[in-house]
Amino acid sequence: MSGLSEVGLLALSGALLAVGLFGILTRRNFILILVAIEIAMNAAILNFVYFAAYAPTTTSGLSGQAIAVVLVGFAATEVAVGLAIVLALNRAKGTINVAEATELRL
Amino acid sequence: MSLTEAAFLLLAFVAILTAVASLLARELVHTILWIAVFFVDLAMVYFLLDAPFLGVLQLGVYAGAVTVLLLFGIMVTRKRIFSREAATGLGPVPVALALLTFVFVVTAVGELPTGEVSPRTYPPAALSAALFSGYGAWVLLLGIIMLTSVSGAIYLVREGRG
Repeated sequence: MSGLSEVGLLALSGALLAVGLFGILTRRNFILILVAIEIAMNAAILNFVYFAAYAPTTTSGLSGQAIAVVLVGFAATEVAVGLAIVLALNRAKGTINVAEATELRL
Repeated sequence: MSLTEAAFLLLAFVAILTAVASLLARELVHTILWIAVFFVDLAMVYFLLDAPFLGVLQLGVYAGAVTVLLLFGIMVTRKRIFSREAATGLGPVPVALALLTFVFVVTAVGELPTGEVSPRTYPPAALSAALFSGYGAWVLLLGIIMLTSVSGAIYLVREGRG
């Protein structure tokens, strides 16, 4: 991995965060919003892996990778709950457009 | 430019391209196809960063499970799988906010300590040993949170609630 530029990796993760934020703000479809959240989460995980590679000690680097592993699990859990909400919303309203879900209760 | 750097630039380009394409695709199934390419692409970046454990995890959890879950979500909420999305405008405010976030993150690069630090590599065996010794509490916590959220998800989708 010699020659990988720090700026390039951080710019990639920053760009992915920006794309995810853009998706969360503009899309109306619940599934597309979930996809955008996943893109932003992946940007965060990429940052953890990158900083683990440049950690001052081996122990702190390993903790970075351990956090990344746990984050991948959290992201999968979040998609499962998100899809459960999608199904409940679809059953209650007949649509998964978040602009039409104006009440907190289903 | 070294081969690694060229490979990274290509992977980064594909990652941003597929991320944008997945959000702008008119058909939801195409979104999932683009996002699958995005997940596989990021797994390649992890392999490039000498993090093979995370690369395999990314392939298994994201490219495998999350993609199928999202496809399943489309399957049960749509009457026809290939139904088009209504066009939504981009809007100047979200684009400006996204660009502002990007600029903010990239300007933070200048704050990084500079110096010759050789990148560290961690063998998967060391990471696995750390996960089940020093970070065992985290893994347990992850398991408990997963169990709780799966119970919550089942409660949300069960018939005749309320």
